[in-house]
Amino acid sequence: MAAAASAAAAAGAIDMADKDVKIGAALAAATCSLLGVAPSVSAAAEAESKWDIDSAFLYYGESDGRVKDFSVSSHATRDFGDQRKLGLDLSVDSLTGASPNGAIASDGAQTFTSPSGRETYTTPAGEIPLDDTFLDTRFALAGNWSQPLARLYTVNAGLGFSSEYDYQHIGTNFGLTRDFNQRNTTLSAALAYAQDTIKPVGGLPLPLAQMPDAVDDDDDDDMSPANRGDASDTKNVLDVLLGFTQVLGRHTILRVNFSYSDASGYLTDPYKILSVVDPVTGELIGRTPAPGESGPTGVYRFESRPDSRRKEGVYAEMRHDFSGKVLQVGYRYSTDDWEVDSHTLESRLRLPFGGSNYLEPHVRYYQQTAASFYRYSLANTAPLPEFASADARLADMSAATVGLKFGHVTAGGNEWNARLEFYRQMAEAPNEFLIGSQPGNTQMPDFDAVILQFGYRFKL
Amino acid sequence: MRKLILLATVCIALQGCATPGVQPWEREVLARDDMQLDANALDTAFDDHIYFSKEGTSGGRGFGGGGCGCN
Repeated sequence: MAAAASAAAAAGAIDMADKDVKIGAALAAATCSLLGVAPSVSAAAEAESKWDIDSAFLYYGESDGRVKDFSVSSHATRDFGDQRKLGLDLSVDSLTGASPNGAIASDGAQTFTSPSGRETYTTPAGEIPLDDTFLDTRFALAGNWSQPLARLYTVNAGLGFSSEYDYQHIGTNFGLTRDFNQRNTTLSAALAYAQDTIKPVGGLPLPLAQMPDAVDDDDDDDMSPANRGDASDTKNVLDVLLGFTQVLGRHTILRVNFSYSDASGYLTDPYKILSVVDPVTGELIGRTPAPGESGPTGVYRFESRPDSRRKEGVYAEMRHDFSGKVLQVGYRYSTDDWEVDSHTLESRLRLPFGGSNYLEPHVRYYQQTAASFYRYSLANTAPLPEFASADARLADMSAATVGLKFGHVTAGGNEWNARLEFYRQMAEAPNEFLIGSQPGNTQMPDFDAVILQFGYRFKL
Repeated sequence: MRKLILLATVCIALQGCATPGVQPWEREVLARDDMQLDANALDTAFDDHIYFSKEGTSGGRGFGGGGCGCN
């Protein structure tokens, strides 16, 4: 309905357009045909519009009552002519649900102190513990400006901010591109620097310290939870990207990126813990809260990650046109000094039909190796390692996505689309990390998720 | 013989310089919206944020939007 109204409005606007615009549109159409370039949307509408806006609503929902995310995002571009462009991105995320806390399933019910340190939550026997106490809203805003610097050179610079309850991000980026070989080859270099501030609920847990009893609010409101350090810490990330784009023929274009990323500072996840287990049976060591207090019924330790991470990666993407159908294939290899190596293979095939519609199947496969400090759990007799995390995102893991997108282009050149995708993640604890008789692989927090997106692209 | 080798070398060198590409008037397909490398910008931004929050590695395509991704 909105699309039809908008199309009618666009058509009305074209009718009312003055002579200059009509002449401009005719000139643009003539230029396009002279250059052999097909105008992609109504030339008249393009001559009038100043902003090109791509907006979408996204729902992401995991199985078993885990994370749910509602997100609204918009990407606006304004062309000021002479290849000078302003890009603005705005998004709002609302996150609810439950997330695995890193502890293993146990034969008995398990009680944990919540991240705030002031409450407890309990997981039934035999289930993978999920922390359902989080609720977050994230706002993100970014702006980017690009313009020619000299013949064949383009420069771009941008700023970005994002804010959520316990996390702030500020980042800047700068890039330069140069065209070669009749603009068939483009080389680019870009730098980005970000400074993030982490302010976890209840303060930063001390690395590998035990999860303490909950602080009873009734006793003393000012009392801080035990085993916590400073209220906040920072993380700095430097990214370098070298890009190479090559036209391979009338129907094919290739892009290859080499990336380097150096993160330093607080890289630990303050909400993740590890179960401390018996070295022979592999079962959780029990614990009794202090008299009159509520708290964990097992021994758990907060995780600890190194304070630096260096990543290198290569990303290649190719687009090929088969008489109107467009195949996109992408591959990424990433390796880092945490020993997480990953391969990602992704493909989309755009199939136009009926003159103004398209279907776009999408598949993606991801596979990674475990971080060197990944642990399924910690044995209680061994000396504590310097770093340990039971986060499944750092385990041996593979994931697959399949999806389908449908799009419809209106008479006014606007587009609405819908996308439905399914994501499945399967993690493994390598055998060397299992202690005693732990049945690691059957007890990983695997999940399925559904991604549903509605989008509308229009001109203003 | 030396002239032949020189000629072969020059030919090979010229061949090496002939990088693939098209003339400006052969770009009608490449100019289409659906052939642009950032044609799915919003989808890939959503995807990058989801996978950044759920997997051990991220990035590579461009620069991310930032965020905790803790959950």
